[in-house]
Amino acid sequence: MGVNRRRFIMFVAGAVAGTLATPIPFKLADDSSIWTQNWPWIPRLQYGGIAHVPMISKLGAPAPVNVTTAGGRPCAVTGNAKNPLSQGGMGALAPAEVQLRYGPARIKGPLKKAGDSFSPLSWEEAEALLLEKMKAAKGKVAAVCGDETGTAAEVLSGLVAGVGSSAFCLMPGESHVAARAWNRLMQGKGQPGYDLENADCVLAIGADLFESFGTPVRNAKALAASRPAGADSKTTWIYAGPVRTRTAAVCDQYIPVAPGAGAAFALGLAAQLIQMGAAAEAQGFEAFRALVTSAYAPAKIKDATGVAPEAFAALAKTLASAKRPLVVAGSVMGRGGAAADVVAGLCLNLLLGNLGKPGGLRAIPEIAPVVTGGLTRSQMLKADLVDFLMQVDAGKLPAPEVLLVHEANPAYALPEPETLGKALAKVPFKVSFSPFMDETAAMCDLILPNTLSLERFEDLITPYGSSFASYTMAAPVAAPACDAKSTADVVLGLAKTLGVDLGFATFEDVLAARVAALAESGGFMSDTVMPWQAIADGSAPEGGDLAEGLGTGTPWVSVAQAEQGGLTFPVQVLEKALPGTPDAAFPFSLVPLALENVGSAKVATPPSNLTTIRDDELKASSLCLAMCGQTAAKAGVAGGDLVKVASARGEIMALVDIDEAVMPGAVAAPLGLGHTAFDVYSRGKGANVCKVLTVSAEPVTGLPVWDSSKVKIAKS
Amino acid sequence: MEFKEFTIKWGMVVDLDKCTGCGACMVACQAENNIAPISKYENFDASNKLRTLTWLLVYKMENGKPFPEHEVAYLPRPCMQCEHPACVPVCPVVATDKNEEGGIVSQIYPRCIGCRYCMAACPYHSRYFNWWDPQFPEGMDKTLTPFTSARPRGVVEKCTFCHHRWNAAKERARKEGVDPMNLPQDWYQPACVSACPAGAITFGDFNNAEHTVGELSKSQYSRRLLAKLHLNPQVYYMSKRPWVLAMLDNYRAGDAHGAEGGQHG
Repeated sequence: MGVNRRRFIMFVAGAVAGTLATPIPFKLADDSSIWTQNWPWIPRLQYGGIAHVPMISKLGAPAPVNVTTAGGRPCAVTGNAKNPLSQGGMGALAPAEVQLRYGPARIKGPLKKAGDSFSPLSWEEAEALLLEKMKAAKGKVAAVCGDETGTAAEVLSGLVAGVGSSAFCLMPGESHVAARAWNRLMQGKGQPGYDLENADCVLAIGADLFESFGTPVRNAKALAASRPAGADSKTTWIYAGPVRTRTAAVCDQYIPVAPGAGAAFALGLAAQLIQMGAAAEAQGFEAFRALVTSAYAPAKIKDATGVAPEAFAALAKTLASAKRPLVVAGSVMGRGGAAADVVAGLCLNLLLGNLGKPGGLRAIPEIAPVVTGGLTRSQMLKADLVDFLMQVDAGKLPAPEVLLVHEANPAYALPEPETLGKALAKVPFKVSFSPFMDETAAMCDLILPNTLSLERFEDLITPYGSSFASYTMAAPVAAPACDAKSTADVVLGLAKTLGVDLGFATFEDVLAARVAALAESGGFMSDTVMPWQAIADGSAPEGGDLAEGLGTGTPWVSVAQAEQGGLTFPVQVLEKALPGTPDAAFPFSLVPLALENVGSAKVATPPSNLTTIRDDELKASSLCLAMCGQTAAKAGVAGGDLVKVASARGEIMALVDIDEAVMPGAVAAPLGLGHTAFDVYSRGKGANVCKVLTVSAEPVTGLPVWDSSKVKIAKS
Repeated sequence: MEFKEFTIKWGMVVDLDKCTGCGACMVACQAENNIAPISKYENFDASNKLRTLTWLLVYKMENGKPFPEHEVAYLPRPCMQCEHPACVPVCPVVATDKNEEGGIVSQIYPRCIGCRYCMAACPYHSRYFNWWDPQFPEGMDKTLTPFTSARPRGVVEKCTFCHHRWNAAKERARKEGVDPMNLPQDWYQPACVSACPAGAITFGDFNNAEHTVGELSKSQYSRRLLAKLHLNPQVYYMSKRPWVLAMLDNYRAGDAHGAEGGQHG
């Protein structure tokens, strides 16, 4: 059979028809597109049953969350809807908790300093070395702890006390300033808490409520509840401070107040309220009235605060006409503030008559320690780490022989790191329990890596700012991803070998004792009633199965309040609350901003958070310094200029970012950048603003303050 | 091009007066959807936003006035899942489509040939191109969720409203005897919505009278981004601040669309 033209065309047509009819070419095309994307180096997903397990996130502001597990493997973090502290929401650091188990900065096992580097050693060797040094120190031991809300702090404080030392310091925080103001200066009892949920007018002075103050997730949830989408707002939110912060961006009103003038502003407002008839029954009120009406009359402090008398009058009227007004005062950077600022804010609350009432200031009773020799939180807050290190640096206090650093990075996060770094360097044997290679761990002699929150027993006791007492607990979600041990257990083991009786063999036993003690102390499980509802109703619910509830992430809660006696207006500390005279050498005020997405005092920017940093905060490897056009003109700089920012104690480089959200005379920059340790994702990015923070002694208390440092700016 | 109408139309209403710009939504989205951190090829520098990969990006909006009248708002921008998406008709290989109940614009990675026409067409910059293979630090791939496959170099990706969460909600509905086509609003919430501490994002079915998004989208304070383009996003933004609303329509002085403050499309 010959091939003629007709047959050829028939063959081609048949071939085409056949090709179209068969799925082979389509399958091949599909397969080729799939397999050209299916390389061995592209990670494969691992499947398994999905579960949501309670956990406590402590990388940033402590908050209860849930871990999503797939086949028992932690893979994501979600909010805990059952817990009133988070109500299903979470901060920007919490989602990174799971990924950081495998972060490049994670320390894989115990390390010992060997020259300029570290060498690995076993846990037995590491613990034996620590025991030897602790014995040799003969009580000359100090500890720094960054876990203010955990029972682990109590365990560590018990060890320090047990070896005969009183040098146990928490990392500086807002609660230090509040304790100084409320407990020491005003003779108040309990921990100050703010019932944002029931207030109908909230004035935040300095406190970056929704970003860094106290319980930012709970605070933001209060904002959310007060502004039902599409309906009228139930609460008026007002922010006063030198920068239109993230909090100010969503407030109904923003009042620019000069840096360092928060206390003066509050006292001016107090003067206005007193003029309108406000009064309080606490001791020293007459002296307070005399002081504020004479020294802080709005017309007198107009220049110092940058607030016009008419604005004081309007604000006082707003507060006085509100049914449940509340004032929250704090530092915009969340630490290092002056006690006078908080005292002035607390005094305003007393004038507004909201102490103990729904929507007002509440005094939260302390939970008693369970560890033998362990300190209460108020006892822990009496010590001031910056003050301690400055005295060591100055030779006024002897350097401890052994320093234990737990969940803290003092070499990075404290002000004047050079000065305080010298104090740290004086300690012959430094031990870090950090799970990450942070700046402090890098300078330590021994590293005993802690597990992460989701790998250990963890708890959360009433964070500062909360309007109710609470206790949340979580069991380990997964085994440690490396050769790490829970520091609390390591400390309990160490105490035993040292002959210090802390009363427990394991941390799990400590928490069981805590739960048993709470069961006897009233309160309730907040699974059906939220604490602010109980506060609003004036009820004090009791009951609920603690063990069962805590196992599911529901907290124990109490709305009881500490009884007051002898509450005082501390006039003396308020006499010198006006900002100091301008310094010609350092004409600008630096406002450091604590932004959780950037990192915290404990942890550097996690890999997944890098994209959240805006290009007006960090550009390539340069920190951005925000200032308004007026300030830039005064400094002789323009947007994009590389400048040197110098204080009396240090200097950093930054790029000028013109941002009209910053008050004239002030410059602002985010904390959390400029790491020299950690990993490639955070190291060498931007500058550490702490380097230019200058410590000064607060009048009357004499304690260190560093949230309103003065700087000069010069083109590089 | 005509697009289907769906019985269910998932969407968001974002209250810009609540968003503090904290970034929790962005980080939750990245973890849930296995978005790799910035790679070594970019020198680990995420400050150049032209090179970062963010299914959800929080923009900062400013009213342009000097201190103290200066105001700031933050705008979280997921994929708008437009009713008339500009990206779909331009895709030469039907790797992106709007053809499934729910009205979520799909993105089928194995089909994508990386031509990036969709990126050019999308006026919201919601689509991202993988310039590099995903680079997870050693061991971190063990934390990948089983919800979203890791995408290789050369494909475009975007927000899916956490579509897998809808699948999970439907599965739960079937188990519990609930109609999967009539889910309670809180059963299906994307990761960003649940993470937001300020409750700024409301998510639900615009066609379901029991869900609040339909009512919210009709509020006098609700607008769609660049409404004048008539792409009809399934994401609305609410604000009581006139300058914010005007800016959503790319308002410039003298621009009649923004000046009227009305809604288009």
